[in-house]
Amino acid sequence: MKVVSAILNDVGGLALFVKDVFQTGFRTEKNVKPILDQIVDVTTRSFTTVAFAGVFVGAILVLQFSLILAKYDAQTFLGGLNTSAVVREVGPLIISFLLAGKVGAFTAAELGTMRVTEQIDAIECLGTNPIQYLILPRFIGIVASSLILLMMSLMISILGSMMVASVTYGIYPEQFLGSIPRFVSFGTLAAGMFKSAVYGIIVAGVACYKGYTASGGARGVGRAVTQAAILTNLYIVIANFLTGQFLDVLSALSKGNAG
Amino acid sequence: MGITLSGVGKKFDRWIFRSLNLSVADGESVVIIGPSGQGKSVLLKMIAGLLPCDEGQIQVPAHHLGMLFQKNALFDSLTVRENLTFPLRERLGIRGEKAEALSKEMLSAVGLSGSENLYPDEISGGMQKRLGIARALIVDPEILIFDEPTAGLDPITSKKIADLIRSLKAKKKLTSVTVTNDVHRAYQLGDRIFLLSQGRLLGGLSPEQTQKTEIPEIRQFILGLKQGPLTEATVESGGPE
Ligand SMILES: Nc1ncnc2c1ncn2[C@@H]1O[C@H](COP(=O)(O)OP(=O)(O)O)[C@@H](O)[C@H]1O
Ligand SMILES: [Mg+2]
Repeated sequence: MKVVSAILNDVGGLALFVKDVFQTGFRTEKNVKPILDQIVDVTTRSFTTVAFAGVFVGAILVLQFSLILAKYDAQTFLGGLNTSAVVREVGPLIISFLLAGKVGAFTAAELGTMRVTEQIDAIECLGTNPIQYLILPRFIGIVASSLILLMMSLMISILGSMMVASVTYGIYPEQFLGSIPRFVSFGTLAAGMFKSAVYGIIVAGVACYKGYTASGGARGVGRAVTQAAILTNLYIVIANFLTGQFLDVLSALSKGNAG
Repeated sequence: MGITLSGVGKKFDRWIFRSLNLSVADGESVVIIGPSGQGKSVLLKMIAGLLPCDEGQIQVPAHHLGMLFQKNALFDSLTVRENLTFPLRERLGIRGEKAEALSKEMLSAVGLSGSENLYPDEISGGMQKRLGIARALIVDPEILIFDEPTAGLDPITSKKIADLIRSLKAKKKLTSVTVTNDVHRAYQLGDRIFLLSQGRLLGGLSPEQTQKTEIPEIRQFILGLKQGPLTEATVESGGPE
């Protein structure tokens, strides 16, 4: 029972925190540059990892799908199936896990240290809203970056899969690319973006929340980082299920448009 | 318009103090001394509006205050200069040349010229303290809240900092609340001196009266006596810093 109420408390605290972030007025003159800086920072810091993951995930899926497709002599569908899986499922998941490890942990540690060394109090003392000054740029930066990284990794993964498919199974690149529109519609892209945004909000929200509310010196910061890592992964897995259900219902409602 | 505390209390897992009353007149300097762990820092943060009251209320005019934190709380990812231009920009909307000039002037007033481009980690403890003071002062506050401005400094630097605070205050008629465990600095900086112990504010006397007072807790504290009402339990591990 204790565990359940602890988790509920945590989810509640997180929800209130994210609400605070959304309610904090966006101030163009104060926020635009830090947000852009943050997006560039997060994207460049994670790009190499995401690119590597993109290539290998693409390659793994090619191997998996071609095993099955070969049975039905349907290897020409490889490109479409592969891309659709990356956009809808694997891409958003992997990117958010990578971001959680890299940017999430960094953010929780940075904010936690600022909290326990009273730098956040000092900012507040100046009449500056720390949520606006510290959290908003990081939050929007992480969410926007996860969308940008999804698009980038998608392209890289298509290239990688195409090469693997061509070298290993002799599937022509034109064939590979040609099958993509049969499986990937605007709806598929939108679904992937939606998932990525939800996971991005989880990564950003949990990391910022845990860091911002850290207490108790170096141990407290350590605790905040560990909790952020564990909870982010947990919430993403749950969100994966929920968004999947939600998107299924949506696509059932708008039949024919489903990807 | 000064600062008024009426019936103020703070509770964490237990009550740290309750029903404190204090009024600081406009332009007055109040010093609070006392054993560590009694809630002096907590009280200052409540006055600064950083912690809520769990009972009673605090009235502070316009909240235009400058605060020095016990551990300085410098912005460690900003340089010494940026630690001053940041408050100028955020608080007063001053940027560019003007901000550079003002921060340069302030840095020379606290003796930090030449360290502009270093980071807080790269300067000594005394310099960090002075930077903390400079950051509190640069926003041109009407109220100063200083948490142990001279703790951990050598006596000469400590005297210099107290002189600096005094001269700045005299120039601008600032209202201030200072926590210190350095009795000499308390005499030098306070119009009235209080002792916070076991949840009560005692004294409130001028430096001269404080030196002669018969209030046992204060006598014991300023003379550093072992025997007295401040027991081991209240004088935490090693007593006042
Ligand atoms: N954020 C906090 N959460 C819980 N307890 C706290 C917090 N801040 C201070 N305390 C407790 O309040 C008491 C007073 O602390 P403090 O004001 O720092 O003492 P002082 O400045 O007089 O040495 C201490 O027992 C401390 O453990
Ligand atoms: Mg203290």
